[in-house]
Amino acid sequence: MSGYLAGTLAILCINLIFAYGIFVSAAAGQINLGGAGFQAIGAYATGFIAGTLGLPVWFSIPAAATISAFIGFLIAFPVLRTRGVYLVLATFAFGEVVSGFLLHTDTFGGAMGMVVPVHIELWVLMLCAIVVTLLTFYLMATRLGLAMRSINDDEEATVVIGVNVRAVQVAAFTIGGAFTGLSGALYAHNYGFVEAQYFNALLSIYVLLFVLIGGAQTAWGPLAGSLFFTVLPELFRVGGAWRYVIFGVLIVLMMVIRPEGMVTRDLVRKLSPRQWWARRAAVGS
Amino acid sequence: MVGAPRGGGELIVTTALSVTNVTKRFGGLTVADNVSFDVPQGARMALIGPNGAGKTTLFNLISGVHKIDAGSITLDGKEIKDLAPRTRVHAGLSRSFQNIRLMPHLSVIENIMLGQHTQASGLGALLQPIAWQRKSIWRERAIESMHSAGIKVDPDASVGGLPYGVRKKIEVVRALMSRPRLLMLDEPAAGLNPRETAELSAFLKAVAWEGLTLLVVEHDMSFVNDLCEHTVVLNFGRLIYNGPTAGVHVDPQVREAYLGTRKSDKKEPSHVA
Amino acid sequence: MTDTGSLAKPRFTLPGPAIAALVVVVLIGIAIAIGGQVIARQVVSGLMLGAIYMTVAVAFTLTIGVLNFLNFTIPTLFMLTGMVAWGVLSQGYLSFAGNAAWLLALFIGVAVAVVASLIVERFTFRYLKMKHGDSTEHAIPLVSSLGFLLIFENLVLIAFGSDSQRFKVPFNADLRIGNIVLGVPQIASCIVAVAAVAALTYILKRTKIGRALRTIAENPDTALLLGVDVSRVVPVVFILTGVLAGVAGALFTVNYGDVSAFMGDNVGTKAIAAMVLGGIGSIWGAIAGGIVVGVAETLSIQYFGGNSVQMTVWGLVLVIIILRPKGLFGGSAVGKGKM
Repeated sequence: MSGYLAGTLAILCINLIFAYGIFVSAAAGQINLGGAGFQAIGAYATGFIAGTLGLPVWFSIPAAATISAFIGFLIAFPVLRTRGVYLVLATFAFGEVVSGFLLHTDTFGGAMGMVVPVHIELWVLMLCAIVVTLLTFYLMATRLGLAMRSINDDEEATVVIGVNVRAVQVAAFTIGGAFTGLSGALYAHNYGFVEAQYFNALLSIYVLLFVLIGGAQTAWGPLAGSLFFTVLPELFRVGGAWRYVIFGVLIVLMMVIRPEGMVTRDLVRKLSPRQWWARRAAVGS
Repeated sequence: MVGAPRGGGELIVTTALSVTNVTKRFGGLTVADNVSFDVPQGARMALIGPNGAGKTTLFNLISGVHKIDAGSITLDGKEIKDLAPRTRVHAGLSRSFQNIRLMPHLSVIENIMLGQHTQASGLGALLQPIAWQRKSIWRERAIESMHSAGIKVDPDASVGGLPYGVRKKIEVVRALMSRPRLLMLDEPAAGLNPRETAELSAFLKAVAWEGLTLLVVEHDMSFVNDLCEHTVVLNFGRLIYNGPTAGVHVDPQVREAYLGTRKSDKKEPSHVA
Repeated sequence: MTDTGSLAKPRFTLPGPAIAALVVVVLIGIAIAIGGQVIARQVVSGLMLGAIYMTVAVAFTLTIGVLNFLNFTIPTLFMLTGMVAWGVLSQGYLSFAGNAAWLLALFIGVAVAVVASLIVERFTFRYLKMKHGDSTEHAIPLVSSLGFLLIFENLVLIAFGSDSQRFKVPFNADLRIGNIVLGVPQIASCIVAVAAVAALTYILKRTKIGRALRTIAENPDTALLLGVDVSRVVPVVFILTGVLAGVAGALFTVNYGDVSAFMGDNVGTKAIAAMVLGGIGSIWGAIAGGIVVGVAETLSIQYFGGNSVQMTVWGLVLVIIILRPKGLFGGSAVGKGKM
């Protein structure tokens, strides 16, 4: 495999896990614009555990995901009291606080960044991406996933059905924190170096766009979004600023043409083999 | 399908829902003014009144969407006024909405299975991949309820494209899935054609026969006459009538509330409502 | 259920102006009382900065208050004004205007910001059709505005590069009041910013279109019932947003003389902080918040260094949103509805 292809695949795996982290809470109706903060926590946690403490990588990566999940769990209680514009701003503020904190804390290298030891192989990244993808599909198929989707559709009615909305949302935020932290840890070990400036507001914006453009209704959405926005620029080979202009134009057009995202539930339903056969049978008879 | 049959041979009539001196103000407006009435176990009771009388508000107070200012609400003798809405569902209360509140992105069967949420307690039940299991007990129960309510559509279809009457029925079935002891329906017959209304009435009678208590807000008086033996009437947040449905249209206070005057004796409340 | 999805209810009444004026007077008073003229000078320059934050914060709060829309293009409109003004000036297109060329350039900059804002409206609210009203659907305008943020910022990068540029203003007079030295551009900025916001409150209070905007802010459904043509009123919000962000961008350009493709980021951040501080959806809150943030920033840079600003400001925003979503100055509560 060429180095270029391997590099693109690595980015795709990291972006995919990151996107699923944001998707899990978006599926429950929570827009998280602080993704970079959670990713930074994962990246610095593994950097600290594997680098400064010198513990093995098979320990540091799960530990980083756990720490990020725990912080997600803690922050969920106050932050999820807010909604709408307030939730977007609160999560955004959280991301900024984290990157600001890392930027000014010498233990984590401050503005100089931090060298992360132990490079991990591509197959580890791919394995993690596959596991996270399957986990998310599984989660969306469970009763918990059903409750999450219900909250996204109509929070008030979900309460009256008897669902503990707050608990479901906190669970979604925590799982999202674990995935996002995992993506950060993988990023750190893949590139061998982390700096606080990388985990900026723009990164949070991109990953949220992966999810919302891909479609937040099914677990196929983030897959489509990450594939589209990671692979497409590589295909066109346009560099620098034009790449982002095209990205922006695509986003605006998508919101006009297909505001529910590339993959919707109706599309999945239409393309599902069972439905397809049912239609074939109906036409045949 | 709606819990075990209850009270078959007993002589004592117990009270399912008891609303006592309930008062609620929004700003300066009193939307529920010292309202008291009891719904006996297994009864089919209607809650009617002119527009703006506070019927939906009373539903919101009983189901816990809003907290009451004063008074008490008991379900099977247990005080529920301080419980959260979802805890009231666990206590045996279930409701539908005036406007259909089905989840637009979920399929028919998913909407119905959502109603089972309070039945599926524990982490194991929460993490069961019900969407993948074609033969799970949950899905089978939901399909069974669909059939008994006469819903003949593809269970995996999106609810968005279905006719109004079908969606209305799905909402009633969803409310029944939590196996409530008291089912509160907010205008279940609104928007239904006469045939659908009759079907719904027959279906509700059947579930009430199994021991379920019904409290129904409704404008359609023929539906009320057919389904409910008792009626309470609200006007401007006050209770003005509590008695047999047959007596509603001859009660002077009710006539005044609907017609604005005691003089015009020609119209029945049903036409105005 | 009842109207739990209702929108903003901005307050444009007293005691807003009183609070704002009081904050200014108290700040200057405290400064002179304890620190003498060094601090007083910092406070005054903080007030200038605060005037810019205030103008941008009002633009943010207006779109949230009326449309429940967090418009992320506002910082780029701010930036567009400065960069376009510098662009037309440095290319020499305006040499015919002689000494007034810089002023003309700024007007062109503001005009471009307004046009850009209208383009944003064309591709967001013009096509916005809520099908189900679920949570992610409410984020559609937000997502579009993030798309436009990328488009505008990167187009400017392509056209003008990422370097910071010098915008020359041909005057630099000073004014002395007692011991405090003030730059004329600073004073002019303050006056223009206050005039812009005053004009906005006049429009909202006294004109037909302003009443329509306030009706929509209180309840879009009622507005429809009352015969307000929402599709015609929405562009007005975007024009006002463009003007406010553009004017703020022009004032920043004149005051600091440096323009770059990233000049909007920092100001946008501080303006959001100012809005949250004052209470989202409240115009007077945004004004008071802008002044406080401006003064706090210049003072904290003077005494604590500039490093900790990002963390402090956003930490404060986070705490206020969680503990006191109405903002520090009372004001209104938006965001009961979804995005």
